[in-house]
Amino acid sequence: MSAGRRLALALGVLGLALLAVAALSLFLGSAGLAPGAVARALTGRAGPESIEAVVTLELRLPRVIAAALAGGALAVAGVAFQGLTRNPLAEPAVLGVSSGAAFGVVLAQIFGLGLSVVQALGVTVFAFAGALLAAGAVYLIAMVPGGLSIQTLLLAGVIVGIFFTSAITVLISVIDFNRLGGVVHWLLGNLAPIPPASLALFALLALAGFWLILRSARELNLLALGEEAAIQLGVDAARLKRRVFVAAALLTGTVVAFTGPIGFVGLVVPHLLRGVLGQDNRLLVPTALVAGGIFLLAADTLARNIVAPAELSVGVITSFCGAPFFVYLLRSRYRASL
Amino acid sequence: MLALVLAAALVPVAASPALALTLRDMLGREVTMPSPPRRIVSLVPSVTEIVFSLGAQDRLVGRTDFCDYPAAVKDKPSVGGMVNPSLETLVTLKPDLVVATDEGNRQETVRQLERLRIPTYLVHANRIAETVDLIARVGELTGRQAEVPRLTGEMLRRIEAVRRAVAPFSRPRVLYVLWPDPLIVPGRASMLTELIDVAGGASITAGDGDAYPRFSLEAAVARAPEVIILADHSTGSSTAGRSSPEKWARLASVPAIRAGRLHSADLSLLHRYGPRVPEGLEMLARIIHPEAFR
Repeated sequence: MSAGRRLALALGVLGLALLAVAALSLFLGSAGLAPGAVARALTGRAGPESIEAVVTLELRLPRVIAAALAGGALAVAGVAFQGLTRNPLAEPAVLGVSSGAAFGVVLAQIFGLGLSVVQALGVTVFAFAGALLAAGAVYLIAMVPGGLSIQTLLLAGVIVGIFFTSAITVLISVIDFNRLGGVVHWLLGNLAPIPPASLALFALLALAGFWLILRSARELNLLALGEEAAIQLGVDAARLKRRVFVAAALLTGTVVAFTGPIGFVGLVVPHLLRGVLGQDNRLLVPTALVAGGIFLLAADTLARNIVAPAELSVGVITSFCGAPFFVYLLRSRYRASL
Repeated sequence: MLALVLAAALVPVAASPALALTLRDMLGREVTMPSPPRRIVSLVPSVTEIVFSLGAQDRLVGRTDFCDYPAAVKDKPSVGGMVNPSLETLVTLKPDLVVATDEGNRQETVRQLERLRIPTYLVHANRIAETVDLIARVGELTGRQAEVPRLTGEMLRRIEAVRRAVAPFSRPRVLYVLWPDPLIVPGRASMLTELIDVAGGASITAGDGDAYPRFSLEAAVARAPEVIILADHSTGSSTAGRSSPEKWARLASVPAIRAGRLHSADLSLLHRYGPRVPEGLEMLARIIHPEAFR
C-alpha cells in the first residue's frame, strides 16, 4: 500500500474512533441526562435555555472539543520533540517544557490574567515564553560537540523540570492561602468548557503549531538518519531544528495555558502509533493529532464520570497511564539505544 | 463542531423575567436576577448558614460539600467542593441565583457561571461589620429582610458584651495558628485578627501579609506570644487536621508554653462569616481572658 493510502486509511479509522469517543463523552456526565435529551439538544430540538441544551452544548461540547485539541496538540508535540532530539523518550513533560510553560502561567495568574480572549492570549504568551525558555535550556545543557546525547538530554529535561517546578513552588509559597486551592487545582491539569472565542484562539494556535511540524515531517525523517546525513541530503538542519523546536514549544505552551500541565500524552500516543504505522513522520504527525485527541478525550470522560458528581483531574489519569508506560519503554524497547 | 459551539453562543439570551431585580454585590458588580430568586445555590458555607438562620432554607436548592451547618443542610444536594464544583450538577438544579465568594471559590467558576447566564452574586467578608452587611444582603436576596434586625441585633449585643467584659484587662500577645506546617496565620485582612482584638488579645501577626499569610516559626517565637490558639480542622468523626499541641510543647522558651496557655479551638466557629461569629468570639475571649468570665 502506498504511503498516501495508508495515511488516508489510518486517518479514516482514527477519525471514526474520535467521533465515537466524542459521542460517548457527550452522552455521559454527572447531570445524568437521558440519551434522548442529549440527542434533542444536539439536533437543536431543545429550547436554548433547557437543561439538556445548556449541559450538552455549553458544558460538554466545548470541553470535548478542548480535550480533542489539547490531546492532539500534545501528541504532535511529542512526535516533534522525539524527531528533533532523535530520542524516543522525549516528550513535553519529560523534557521539562510543560513545567516551563506552567511556570509562565502561574506567573500570569498571579498578575491576575484569566479566561477572557485577550487575557487568554496573554496567558498563552507567558506559557509560550516559559516553554521556549525551558526547551532552550534543555537544548543548551544537552548540546555537546557532534549533536545531542540521549542520556544527557533526558537528564537535562529532568533538571530543567525540577528547576521550574521549584520556581512554581516559590510563587505558591508567597500567595495567600485563599488562592492556593485554585492554583494547585490548576497545576493538576484540568479540562474545562472553554468559551467559544477562547476555544477558537486555542484551535488557531494549535493548528499553527501542527502545520509547522507537518511541513517539516519529511525533513524530520531525513534527520533521523543523523544530522550529517540529513545535511548531505540537502536539509538545512539548523533551520529545521529551530522551526520544529519553536512549533513544539508553541503547542506545549498553548495546551498548558488552556488546560494546565497534562503529562505523557506525547509519549503514549506516538509510541502506539509507531507500533502500527512505523517511523514515517509524514504518517505520524497527522495521525498523532487525531489519536492524541482520542486518548485525552477518553481520559477526560473517565475523569468527569469516575467519581461523579465530583471530578478527577485529567492530568492525574494521564500520568497514571504514562508513568508505567515510560518505565516499560525504558526497560524493554529502548534499552539498547540508551 | 466548532461551528456548532459558535452557533450555541449566538443564541439570544432568554427574555428577562417579568420581575427582574438588579443589585450590586459585595464586589461592586451589578447582578440581575428574578425577583425574588427562588432557587438559590450557595457555594459559600457562611452564606448557607445565614440562609438557614434567616429561615429561608426553602429557597436553597444546592450547596457545597463544605456547607455542613446546620445539620439540616444534609438534605440539600451538594454540587461538590468549593474549588471544583460540578457545573453539570449545578445546572441541573436550575438555579436562578448562585452565591459565590472570591475567597475559596475560583474565578474560573464565576466566569463559567456568567457564560452560562446564571446570575452570580459575589460575597466577601473579612470584618465583623462586613459579616453584618452580608447577613443583611442575604436577607434581601431571600426576601427575609424582616428577620435581619433580630439576628444581627442579637449578634452585635453579644459582641458588645464580650468587648465590655474584657475591657478592664491587659491585652496578652496572641498567636493564632490556622495551619501548623507550614505555619499559616491570620494577617491584616482576616476577620480572625479583628476577633482576637475584640476578645481582648493582641494578635502578633495583625500587621502581616494579606488574609492568611505563611509565617516563619522563628519570627512567631521571637514575638513571644503569651497565648497560642491552634485551629482544629477535624470535623465530626474525621480526625484529619486535628491540632497536635504536643509539637508545640517543646518550644519551652515561649511565654505561652511556660504558662501552659496552649489551646485548641473549633475552626468552623471562627472561619465562618455568619450568625455563629459571637459564639466563636466568646470562645476566643474565654481562652484569652478566662478571668473575665469567672
